[in-house]
Amino acid sequence: MRTTATRATADRTARRATALAPGLVVLCAALAFVAFLSVTLGSRSIGLAEVLAALGSLQSDGTITSTVTLDLRVPRTLLGILAGAALGVAGAVLQGVTRNPLADAGIMGVNQAAAAFVVFAITVLGVRGVGVYVWFAFAGAILAIVLVYATASLGREGATPVKLALAGAAATAGFGSVTTGIVMTNVDALNELRFWQVGSLAGRYAPILVGVAPFLIVGLVASLAFGRVLNGLALGDDTARGLGQRVGRTRAAAFAVVAVLAGAATAACGPIVFVGLVVPHVARFLCGPDYRWILPYSMLLAPLVLLLADVLGRVVGAPGELQVGVVLGVLGAPVFVGIVRYARLAEV
Amino acid sequence: MRVWRSLLAAAALSAVLAGCGAEAPSSGTPAGSSGPWSFTDGSGQVVTAERTPTRIIAHAGEANALMSFGIRPVGIYADEPVATDPNLKDLDLDGIEILGEEWGKIDVEKAASLRPDLIVGDWWPAEKAHSGLEEGVDEKSKKLAELAPVVGVSQGKSIVELAEGYEDLAVSLGAKVDDPRIAANKQRFDEAVARFKAAVAAKPGLTVLAMSPADDQVYVANPEYAPELLDLQSWGLQVINPDSPDPAFPYWENLSWENADKYQPDVILWDGRSFTPTANAEWGAKQPTWFQIQAARAGSVVAWPAYWLHTYGDFATELDLLTAAVEAADANIGA
Repeated sequence: MRTTATRATADRTARRATALAPGLVVLCAALAFVAFLSVTLGSRSIGLAEVLAALGSLQSDGTITSTVTLDLRVPRTLLGILAGAALGVAGAVLQGVTRNPLADAGIMGVNQAAAAFVVFAITVLGVRGVGVYVWFAFAGAILAIVLVYATASLGREGATPVKLALAGAAATAGFGSVTTGIVMTNVDALNELRFWQVGSLAGRYAPILVGVAPFLIVGLVASLAFGRVLNGLALGDDTARGLGQRVGRTRAAAFAVVAVLAGAATAACGPIVFVGLVVPHVARFLCGPDYRWILPYSMLLAPLVLLLADVLGRVVGAPGELQVGVVLGVLGAPVFVGIVRYARLAEV
Repeated sequence: MRVWRSLLAAAALSAVLAGCGAEAPSSGTPAGSSGPWSFTDGSGQVVTAERTPTRIIAHAGEANALMSFGIRPVGIYADEPVATDPNLKDLDLDGIEILGEEWGKIDVEKAASLRPDLIVGDWWPAEKAHSGLEEGVDEKSKKLAELAPVVGVSQGKSIVELAEGYEDLAVSLGAKVDDPRIAANKQRFDEAVARFKAAVAAKPGLTVLAMSPADDQVYVANPEYAPELLDLQSWGLQVINPDSPDPAFPYWENLSWENADKYQPDVILWDGRSFTPTANAEWGAKQPTWFQIQAARAGSVVAWPAYWLHTYGDFATELDLLTAAVEAADANIGA
């Protein structure tokens, strides 16, 4: 590629890098600020001084303010960062590997499938503990990816965006109704299982965080290695093969990473939509088509969005809370429509 | 329009029936008569039949109520598996067809094969429908109403009224409520109420809160929509009324786990559908703020028979448990 690139393109790439690298630093700072908000703001109003005192002591002293700060908000915030990053990157990888602007773990039914498998594991098999049911989430995620991609690939023109979205919508509805069906037949457990229908960061503490963090971290690190191959795939399967890529193997590896990221995120927070769809488009709008930049940008932008939506849901829903999945659904839909209308998103 | 039409139809029908019979039927026609039968439904409509119904299909709790007065239905539809339904799990259901074990799903074909002449389900005033025929159930299930007239006592402000309503219905269907074995339940209930009142009176200042903890938030019951809690209040128990119930679903106030300690009762009435003897310890381990409720920390919790009671006998049994909890409670735990 380097040899065929014109001088102008090389210049532009270099200039972009000089602007984009500091951009990542700015995003890191923004994420740190939102994480701070997430620890200080919530459905219970706690004074800033008390929050800081609790954070400073690092160990809950048994008072409600320090328990809420350290045992509720800190793990919730860390989980939001990890799960958000996972969903954003999973969306970016899916869009790249399928060359499809509507590809997303939420749209393709991957998160719904993972949630349905988790609910099945919990209610029918009696599985307890996120360390066990996270594997069911992976299985559900893999199944949905294979099912939806294979269905959409049927026919001469291959997996077009519309076919993928339609197959995904069907899978979302199908797996969603499995979840609803299981939940409805367990009247006693209705309140506990409602969580698996709409994603939420509420009530998710240290054990959940510790249970899924290794998978999410491994998945996130692995995903960063896909920048170059996704750039190759963006030129079309034939060109990618010409560049020496093993397209089938790349695609399988990418799907596996997506399944780990989306599965673990869903096992932790339930099926969360829109983050994985919208954020990669924003990242692409900021960085251009280079996946070596889109992936890290998605990784920082997505938790930013997720945490902001979560804080919003906590503040407006007090004394209860609005699930972050609901907030994202409400905010995400118009943003997505805006992107479709104005950002020429077909150019993936 | 529709209301008028059905009112007119009912008026016309009762006029015809009155013409056939010797006198206009009134609610609770005496037992065993082959003459016209009538019952005033929870909706206010008078439902009539040419003879006293004998082949009854009833919803779970309503079936339990009828059976407590000696009236055996031919079929029962439930909202959950019979094995776990608090109204059915201890009953002898030998020879009774089970027509559904999931909310909203009734096997109407099987129901039709039973040739029912009466369907019994609670009337829900807010939804203007009988149990099993509400908005949201399978469309096929609603055809149950075409098999026979549907009657039920109105759900509302009191389990006692509900039990009395089904006593009236049972009497109209021929129940001998003076039979010592049947009357014993009501007597046991009256005694349980007396004991409960005495226990509550002996603990002035004792407050209780009805709660249902869940993974993402804590639900606090609004007594206004929980008839058994209203009964407890009417007998003197201070069941705390939450100050901001969910406007969209006023059965509960939703508290985030951060706000779990908003109310500090002396005793927690724990949603009986999820209560187990170890539940309090489990939630304390799982939710860091659960034990910020002093009553939870002190283990001052008791099962609350949430939204299912229909009979004197069941209420008496549950009341005795509540009485014991009140007697054991420390009125200084909460705020």
